[in-house]
Amino acid sequence: MRLFNTPPLVFILFLSLFSSATFAEDKKILTIYTYSSFTSKWGPGPKVKAAFEKECDCELKYVALEDGVSLLSRLKLEGKHTKADIVLGIDTNLTAEARATGLFAPHGITLESSSLPNEWTDKNFLPYDFGYFAFVYNKEKLKNPPTSLKDLVENKDGPTILIQDPRTSTPGLGLLLWIKSVYGDKAEEAWKQLSPRIVTVSKGWSEAYGLFLKNEAQMVLSYTTSPAYHIIAEEKNNFAAAKFSEGHYQQIEVAGMIATSENKELAKTFLTFMSSEKFQAIIPDNNWMYPASLSNDKLPEAFKTLIDPSPAILFEADDVAKNRKVWVKEWLNALAK
Amino acid sequence: MKILAGYLVLLLLMAFATVPLASLFFANDILGSQTGGTTNSLSFWKDPYLRQVIYFSLWQAMLSTLLSVGIGLFVARAFAHAGHFPFRSVILGLFGLPLVVPAVVAVFGIVSVYGSQGWLPLGRDLYGLPGILLAHLFFNIPLAVRLLLPVWNAIPQQYWRMSSQLGLNNWQLWKQVEWPALRESLPGVSLLIFMLCMTSFAVVLTLGGGPKSTTLEVAIYQSLRFDFDPAQAVILALLQLGLSILIAVIALRFSHLPDVEPNFAIHNQAIPYRHNKLLSFSLILAAIIFVASPLLAMIIDAIKGPVAMVLFDRSLWIAVGFSLLIGLSAAIIATTLGWLLLSASASKVYAGNKRIAQLLELSGSVVYVVPPLVIGTGLFILLSKLVNVFDWAILIVISINGIMGLPFVIRTLGPAIRQNTLRYERICNSLGISGWQRFIKIDLPLLRKPLGLSMALVTAMAMGDLGVIALFGSPETATLPLLLYQRLSSYQMPQAAVIAVFLLVFCLLVFWLLERSIGGKHVKN
Repeated sequence: MRLFNTPPLVFILFLSLFSSATFAEDKKILTIYTYSSFTSKWGPGPKVKAAFEKECDCELKYVALEDGVSLLSRLKLEGKHTKADIVLGIDTNLTAEARATGLFAPHGITLESSSLPNEWTDKNFLPYDFGYFAFVYNKEKLKNPPTSLKDLVENKDGPTILIQDPRTSTPGLGLLLWIKSVYGDKAEEAWKQLSPRIVTVSKGWSEAYGLFLKNEAQMVLSYTTSPAYHIIAEEKNNFAAAKFSEGHYQQIEVAGMIATSENKELAKTFLTFMSSEKFQAIIPDNNWMYPASLSNDKLPEAFKTLIDPSPAILFEADDVAKNRKVWVKEWLNALAK
Repeated sequence: MKILAGYLVLLLLMAFATVPLASLFFANDILGSQTGGTTNSLSFWKDPYLRQVIYFSLWQAMLSTLLSVGIGLFVARAFAHAGHFPFRSVILGLFGLPLVVPAVVAVFGIVSVYGSQGWLPLGRDLYGLPGILLAHLFFNIPLAVRLLLPVWNAIPQQYWRMSSQLGLNNWQLWKQVEWPALRESLPGVSLLIFMLCMTSFAVVLTLGGGPKSTTLEVAIYQSLRFDFDPAQAVILALLQLGLSILIAVIALRFSHLPDVEPNFAIHNQAIPYRHNKLLSFSLILAAIIFVASPLLAMIIDAIKGPVAMVLFDRSLWIAVGFSLLIGLSAAIIATTLGWLLLSASASKVYAGNKRIAQLLELSGSVVYVVPPLVIGTGLFILLSKLVNVFDWAILIVISINGIMGLPFVIRTLGPAIRQNTLRYERICNSLGISGWQRFIKIDLPLLRKPLGLSMALVTAMAMGDLGVIALFGSPETATLPLLLYQRLSSYQMPQAAVIAVFLLVFCLLVFWLLERSIGGKHVKN
C-alpha cells in the first residue's frame, strides 16, 4: 500500500530533471552528436570535454547515440532543425551519404601533421582517428594463424571465426568491403567458402568479441589495435591480430560541422582543437584506435608492438554508398541458404 | 464511466501505434525530401529472402512458445501441487528475473552453459535453432510459470475436496478440474510469449548462427538504420503487427471463459489432494537448474570481475536511479492503463458482450509487437517539430515502456479483474458502491496480489530495456543496461559482467519489495 504514495514523488523527480536543462545560460554551449562509447566514462569523451572547456570558455554538451549509423539517421530525421553543432563519429563508409544530406559546412581547415597513410582531401569532414579491421586471436590457442585473407577464406581446415552482421554493424560492413576488395566479382563464392567456419554472425561488435573471450571461436573480427587494450588495461600479452598480406581494410572516423549551426566559430575552434595534440593524445588508450594526427613516437608503447597493417584498403565513399545494398544482398545470397 | 475510460485507453493505444507509424511513413514529406530516404518502391515484397525471414520468425516463435508454455504448464502444476515449501517465494522471485536480463547478457549466460567451454557443451550445434530455443526457454518458461500459477490458486477449495472424495486420479483431476480452469489464461499467455519471441532480435541474430535465422525485427532495424527507408520500415512493422493480430485472433478463439459459478471462498492454502510429491519436486528442481544455470554462470563471471571498482563508481548509482525511475513509472502507467482497459472489458463480459471485451483486451496485448525503434523514430519526427525532444526524452522512454508493459498487465490482472467483476458487480450495483469507494474497498484488497505481480513484471521489463533508451540517449541519463552496454563496447567485459549481476540482484530486490508492499505479506506464491 505504501507504494501508492510514491507516484507524486516520482513526478517531482521528473520535473527537477527538466529544469536542470536550463542552467549555465551565460556560457555558449557547443552540442556534439556522437556515439555512446565515445562519451562513456571509459571513452575519450569526458577527457576531451575537460580539455576543451579549459580553453574555450564554453560548455561542451554531448548527445550520445548508439553508433555511427544512428548518428546519420538521426541527422536525416532532424534535417535543418538539428540541434547539433558538430557531428563526431561517422566513418568513411558513411561520409558520402552524410554529405548528401547537405547539412555539413566546409571546415576550411588544412590537416597538418596527418598520421594517416592516405592523403586527406575531404572538404566537409576531418578525421580524428582511424583503425584497421583484423582477425584477433589468442596466441596460446591458435599457433598457426592464417597469413592472408585468401588463406583464411580458402583453407578448409582453417580456424573458426566470429563476425558481425553488415546490416547492423560497422565492422561487419568493413569485412564485407574487405572481401569485396580482394575478391571482386568472386566475393559471393568466397563467402560461401568461408561460411562453414563462421560460428555465428552477431548484431554488433560487443556480442562477437564477448563470445570470442568465451572461446566460442578461434578468431574474431575486430581491429588491429584490439590487442593494445589487453596489453595496457589488462597486462595480457596473449592476444594478437593476424597480419594479412593483402592489407587490411581501413576505417577512418571523422567529424564535421553543421551548416545551420549558430556556433560555427566555436565549432571550427573545436575542429582545430580536434587535430591538436591535446585531443589526439587522448585517443589511443581511450578509444583504442590510431590518432589521426599524432606523431608515432607519442603513441603508447603497446601500440608499437602491433602488426603493420599496410597496405591500407579503402573504397571511395561514393562507391560504398552506391553499391552497399547490392553487396549486402550478395552477402545474404551466399550465407542465407 | 468505466466503459468510457476503457474506450479512451483503446483510442490512446490505437493512436500510439498508428500516429508514429504514419508520421514515419510520410517522413520524407514531413522532413522535406532532401534527406534522401530512398525507394518507396514495393519491390522488396518479391524478395525471397523476406519470405524466408517471415517464415523463420513465425516458426521459431511458434516452437519457442509451444515449448515454453508446455513445459511451463507442468512446472506451474508442480508448484501448485507441492504447496508450501522452504524458499518457495525466493524461487518464484528468481523466476521473475529473466525478464530484466538484457539480451546480450542472456546470450553470454547461455553460451557459458552450453557453449564449447560450457558445463553442457553443445559445441557448434548451439548456433542455430537449438541456441535460439534455449535462450527463449530461459526467458519464457519462468514467465509462463509466474503467469499460470495463479490459475491454480483460483480453483475453488471445494473442487479439490470433491475430487479427493471422488478419488479422481491424476489424469482425471487434470481433465476435470485443472484444464477447464486453465483454458481462460492459456491462450493469452501463449500469445504474450509468442510476441516476445517473434520480436526477439539480438538473441536470434547472435545465437542463430547467421542470416538464415533472422526475424522481421532485423529487417525493420536494417531499413531504419543502414538503409534509412522509413516507408519500408513502416510496411514491415505493419506486416509484423498484422501477423500478430492474426495469431492473437486465433489464440482468442481457443480461449474459453470459465462458466463456473463465481466463487466466494477462495483462500490459497495448499491443495488438499494426494499427489506425487517426488515427481513434482523433481520437475521443480529441473526447472530451477535450467533457469539458474545461466544466471549462475553470470554470477561466476561477475565474481571474477572488478566488483568493488564497479560498485564504487558514481555513475552506477546514478544509473540505478534512472532505471528505477523508468521502471516504476512505466509500471504505474502500464498498470493504470491496463486496469482501465480490463475493467471496461470485464464490464462488457458481465453485460454479455464478449466481442467488445475481447477487442479491448486484444488492443492491450498486441501493441507490444510494434517495434520500439519504429514508434520511437515516428514520435521523434512528430515531436521534433514541436519541442526540444531531448528535454522530453525520459518522458518518452517511460511512455513507450509503459505501453510495452501493457500485455504483462493484461495477463496478470485480466483473469482476476474479470472474476472480481463477475462476483461483485451485482452486489456493488445493488448497494450503490461505485467509483473510488469501490476501488478502495472492494477491488484493491482482492486484487493486491496480481497487482503486485504485474507491477513487478513491468518494472523488471522496463528496467532491462535497452532498445528505447538507446534511441534518445543523452549521456547524463544512462540506465543500468545502457551502462552495461557502454562497458561492453569499450572492451570491458569483466566490468559488464559485474553490472549484469548487480542489475539482477537489484531487480530481485525491487521485485520482492513490490510484491510484498503491494501484494501484501500473506502472499503465498
